[in-house]
Amino acid sequence: MDVFFVLTNAITVACIYGLIAIAVSITWSSLGLINLAYGFVFTFAGYGAWLFAEHISEMPVLLAGAGIAMGALAGIIVCLVVFIPLHDKPNFTTRGMIATLAISLIGSQSFLMFFGPRPKSLPDLFGFWTVDMFGVTLTSDKIGIVLCSTLMLFVVVRWMRGSRRGLEIRAMMMNPHAASIVGIGVRSTGIYVMAVTGAMGGLASVLLSQTYYIAPFNGLTPLIKGVSIALCGGLGSVQGAVIAAILLGLVEALTNEFLGGQYVLMTQFLVIIAVLVVRPRGISGLLDKAREQ
Amino acid sequence: MTEPTEKSGYTWINPLASWGTATGNPAAPSVPVPDIREDWDRVTGYKVPTYLVGRLKHYVIWSNHGDRLWNRTRWWPTRRNLLHVTGIYNRKTAIAEKKILDRRPIYWLICMVLLALAPLVFPASMQNTLLTAGTIFGIFAAINVCWTLIIGTASIFSLASYAVVGTAAFLTSWLSITYGVPWYVLPLIGSAIGLVFGLAIALPALRLDGFYYALLTLGLNELCRVFFTTSKEFGSASGGLYGADSFIRESWDPMVQSYVGYYAAFALLLGSLSLFRLINGKRLGRVLRMAPEKREAFAAACGVDYKRARIVIFIVTSVALGFIGGFYAAQYRGVAFSIFSFDTVLLGLAMLAIGGIGKAEGAVLGTLVVVFLDKVLLEWGPIRHFLVGALMLAAVLFLNNGYFGIKKQFNAWRDKKRGEWRSTRTEKGGEALPEEATETNDKDQLYFRRFDKIQRDYLKKLITPEIIEEHRRQPLGQHSEALERVLLYFRRAKLEDKYALHRAGPHGPYKIIAFSGSRGVSPRIVDDREFATVDEGYHGVFMRRVHDLMES
Repeated sequence: MDVFFVLTNAITVACIYGLIAIAVSITWSSLGLINLAYGFVFTFAGYGAWLFAEHISEMPVLLAGAGIAMGALAGIIVCLVVFIPLHDKPNFTTRGMIATLAISLIGSQSFLMFFGPRPKSLPDLFGFWTVDMFGVTLTSDKIGIVLCSTLMLFVVVRWMRGSRRGLEIRAMMMNPHAASIVGIGVRSTGIYVMAVTGAMGGLASVLLSQTYYIAPFNGLTPLIKGVSIALCGGLGSVQGAVIAAILLGLVEALTNEFLGGQYVLMTQFLVIIAVLVVRPRGISGLLDKAREQ
Repeated sequence: MTEPTEKSGYTWINPLASWGTATGNPAAPSVPVPDIREDWDRVTGYKVPTYLVGRLKHYVIWSNHGDRLWNRTRWWPTRRNLLHVTGIYNRKTAIAEKKILDRRPIYWLICMVLLALAPLVFPASMQNTLLTAGTIFGIFAAINVCWTLIIGTASIFSLASYAVVGTAAFLTSWLSITYGVPWYVLPLIGSAIGLVFGLAIALPALRLDGFYYALLTLGLNELCRVFFTTSKEFGSASGGLYGADSFIRESWDPMVQSYVGYYAAFALLLGSLSLFRLINGKRLGRVLRMAPEKREAFAAACGVDYKRARIVIFIVTSVALGFIGGFYAAQYRGVAFSIFSFDTVLLGLAMLAIGGIGKAEGAVLGTLVVVFLDKVLLEWGPIRHFLVGALMLAAVLFLNNGYFGIKKQFNAWRDKKRGEWRSTRTEKGGEALPEEATETNDKDQLYFRRFDKIQRDYLKKLITPEIIEEHRRQPLGQHSEALERVLLYFRRAKLEDKYALHRAGPHGPYKIIAFSGSRGVSPRIVDDREFATVDEGYHGVFMRRVHDLMES
């Protein structure tokens, strides 16, 4: 097995999981909600895109757009069901986390009821072509995945930096209480945040379905991977998540190369635990101050 | 002006007129003066509807005797009482009574007796299903009670409890299959595995707080699942690892096997409940009740070593979970991979969330509900898990702490509503705002304002065109009772902003001025209107005061 081949694989997958990691990270730091319903968002967007491809159009751009829109919709649903009723209640963090877990349970069972256990596959977004770069053959879907997720990340970061809504979200990240005092609506910001992060999850779903299938319980692995990356990078930090995604991608590639595929999760978790024992709030998380909620 | 309807037609006769010494009008059309005491009673009366107060006696009260109060049943050999009983005296009859302060042991006893007798009353058609479900209930309730110790008592949000159980079950099954380890050793080996596992995952718990740890343990669970399902030693092909030694002999009658399984699981549940009681109700639990989340620094300052207590509980509970894992393997002759699945963790969390996190009764009730939905209503299909999810979501959205938190939440809600109702019933005279009233040191000021308001309201009713006309005709001298009362009130007004007449020349004209009320500050001229005679001036001042009264 060629190490570069494994490396490109790892980077491709890390891009997708990185999207979810950043979504988890942004939601936690701005809303204080540990959203474990990204598995639901992921599957919802996947099935939405599949329905779109079946009934309306198979054009790649439209398909990706449909996935993103469905992801945003799922994010808004989670926000309406969990964040808005719960955000001012006692034990919000615990209850919010359990509620998102309940949504993922309900979601996967409803997908099982509506679509059945058989996996669905999406049409190819990027066609079939290959590029030879430094002696490594890169397939179209890998390049497409990396480009798309980088583009999405770039757009989201630009939007967070440059727009009025982004300013509101960053204010919420700094101090939610003060933000609400100066007139930033907690609920409206919650809807923006969940829509944007849901859109990231939706894109990740469409991109990952290039490699895997869409099945009712397939949201779990991306969720776990995304959450681990977010943890390792530090909740609330975008660059930390990027660093962690690359680090864990490398670990995955190296483990695949030297130890074998079944040890991937183990080495990854050892790395995560090692990182967290040294820096309890992740690679670039702030050391002593967590988000007060 | 107030309506003068029934007040007209009344003529006041100056009592001094017949003596020929009267100043003022000999007679004037005026208004009858109502009794001010009626207004006083109406305003100061207590009109709020009152209800019977106190609480219903919803607890059983036994008669008592002073001697017998000290003669209690105790847990041998300690001096602990069987029940937390207090002696009280009836406040009406002064008869000595006994009251049980904490009735939960009685409820626990009743529930446990019901659980023990339940197999006798299961309907014959459902006997097998219910016994199987009861066995699963016993084991899962035991796991959840231990998990409650970790999440509730130790406040370590670990989602890896099922991973500990599963690992212990897999390893012990594998040992039993490979080396023929007998069943009675499996729980002990499981405990050792739980100890090792607990030590390993307690290490990050020392450093990470709350939700970082939850997410990490969620990942650990997934790690275990992937490891065990992909490794060949643990039967990756067959969906589980089976063939371990068991205390349930296969030669027995299937019904006997079910019964033995049920009561073994029941004993396991009793064991974990006693562990819960031993940890949560004794020193460790009390130490940690001193150090709830976000108050750790305070507890530490008081000398509570909460970290050590948490880790001790975590490790002891991990040992117990390992024991349960070994027991599980010995009960079912092995274990399936589904113990590691995300859905198992979700269902477990649903059990805790439905019953209420942090309470043993919550864990047991939640397990009962979820296991009943999951294992008894088998023909409902995938909607069962949907229902469990919906229950979990509803419990989290509407209840602060699950089913057993309802009472506290309801009482808090009722107190809030009572406060709201009380505040809507409260009479507001407009004399002083509540916050102003609490800030004022001289409470006489408040009573004076209240009295003044009552008086002004009363006098407003007396202001009619008749008395204004009477005053216009003769500002000085004897007046009718209505006008006299109004004038007396005006004369008694405070000096600041009190009106007076200013004479511009030796014979007028007159202008209305108002005193400043403080020495050395000259009065101000109220307006430019001029009055030719002093009587017109008096009437002008009177009209101005009437105007101020009606405006206030």
